[in-house]
This record gives sequence, C-alpha cells and structure tokens, in this order.
Amino acid sequence: MLIERLMIGDPAAKEQLYDRYAGALYNIVLQLVPVKERANEVIVKVFLWSFQHIGTFRTSGHHTLFAWLLRKTREFAIKEALPETALAGTELMKQEDGLLQQFYLMLPADQQQVFRLSYFKGLSITTIARLLALPEGQINEILKEAIKSFRQFLKKTWN
Amino acid sequence: MELKFYIESGIIESFVLGLASEEEVEELQHMRRLYPELDTEVEYVERRLERAAFDEPAMPPVEIRERVLQKIRWEEGHAYSDPSSNYTFINIQPKDGSHITVHRWWKIFFIIFFIMSKVFLFLAIFYYLKYRMSQEQQRSDNLHQMIRQEQTQSHLL
Repeated sequence: MLIERLMIGDPAAKEQLYDRYAGALYNIVLQLVPVKERANEVIVKVFLWSFQHIGTFRTSGHHTLFAWLLRKTREFAIKEALPETALAGTELMKQEDGLLQQFYLMLPADQQQVFRLSYFKGLSITTIARLLALPEGQINEILKEAIKSFRQFLKKTWN
Repeated sequence: MELKFYIESGIIESFVLGLASEEEVEELQHMRRLYPELDTEVEYVERRLERAAFDEPAMPPVEIRERVLQKIRWEEGHAYSDPSSNYTFINIQPKDGSHITVHRWWKIFFIIFFIMSKVFLFLAIFYYLKYRMSQEQQRSDNLHQMIRQEQTQSHLL
C-alpha cells in the first residue's frame, strides 16, 4: 500500500504519489488559479506539505489520498489566487474542460454565481451574502441546491 | 430514511470539496461513527470524484516534478545522516607494531621528570662541590694545626 510506504518515509513512494496524483490535482488547480506559474507553485506546496503531514491522513476523515490532497490543494490554490481574483471579475479561467467548470456551466444563473464565489473564490457564506446583498440563509439554500446538483452530476457520470 | 436524506443533501460532496462549515464537518464526522453506511458513502464519493478528476488530467511541467523530487532527495540525504557522523575517522597510524599510543598526560609527566632530573643533577653537583670544598678546608686546617704544633714543639726544644 502506498500510504504505508509513505508513512515510513519511503522516497520511492513519494515519487509515486506525485506521479499518480499531480495530473489530476493540476487540473483542479488550473481551474482555481488562472496564472500558470502560481498554479505550479501550488502543486509544489501541496506535495511538500503532503510528505511532511502524511501522519495526519488517517485522522483527516478522508478515505482516499486523492481526497486528502484535493482538500489541501484547494486551500493552497485559493490562498495563492486570492490577492487578484477574489472579488474582481466574473471571468473564470480558460480551463473549460475542467471537471468543476463543466459542472458549473450547467447550473442556473443564481447557483452559478454563488457556487463560483464559494468554490472557486473560497469565500464564506457571510461574505457572499454581503457581496450579493442577500440574506445568509438564502445564499446557504442556493449553495445547497448547487451541491445537490453536483452530487447528481458526479453520480451520473462517474458512478 | 433520514440518513438517505442527509446523504442526498450533498453534505459529503460539500465536505470533500472543502465547502462545508466547521459545524457541518463536525456533525458529519459524528454521524459517520454512528452509521457505518455513511462512512462507506464518503468513500464512494471520494472515489467518484477521483475518477472524475482523472478523466482529464493535466500534467504540470516537468520542472515542477524535478523540484518536488529534488526536495525528496534533499530530505532523504538529511534523514539518513546524523550530523555528528559527517566526519569519518581515518586511522592513519601505521600498524607495524613499532609505534605505541600513550595518554597525553605522559607528556607532562616526562617534562616534569626531565626538569626534576636536571634539578637533582644540579643539586648533586652543587653538594659534591660543597663537600669537596669543606673537605679541603678541613685538610688545610689540619695542616695549619700540624704546622703550628710543630712550630711550638720546635720552640720548646
């Protein structure tokens, strides 16, 4: 098992982790960070983080290394993208074949807006509510609807 | 039935994407311990998302892989070498049996021994000369005495 080998710090396992997940994660990062150089930085950061914090995987509540890496990837990516893109522009990145963008483009307009600010920009419900001048409860409902659709979208295509 | 509703609400997807609030995550972790089927569903969702993400992988540039691997090698180099063992002890002493190794205190001992031997030698010479002088003095004293005695005897005669 890859995870066991990572736990004991096997360098070959680290290389394998990179080779297995870098592509899938990079695809996700490119949807979040529009600048290539910064997307690259995110990938480096995520893997270096993962090598150091592999011990936290078991208690993270994740079953797969991919999901564990994905959570951190999005966290790093949003931090990296924040200064320029958080509030400016409704434009998203060019990565239109990306999984989450494919999904995003299928949503109705109100859900699109909330999902974009929440997932792609990493804003909290409170901030989105303030930004759109809508009550928090309503934003919450819209986001829940969007995520429900995301569940259906995933199940339909990749079950 | 309620559990199904909970799952269908997309809470797991929300957790996996990192959109769930802290309270929601806590609630989910609590529920997972109570309902194993919920835990299984988390695994399904994660695998589904993984498959989806692998559908269109975009490999980062080769230099990124190099940077990550370099870091691994660097860390490896550090992990397996203890800083104190960075120096290898090389014994350059000839092993022909004609050399011995002694403690450095022997050096001090030999210096002291050398100085003391000089001191004693000096003292030996000094006292020898003193002894010779006193001997000579005594002999000349005796000689004077003998001469005086002879002189007085010749006077008497």
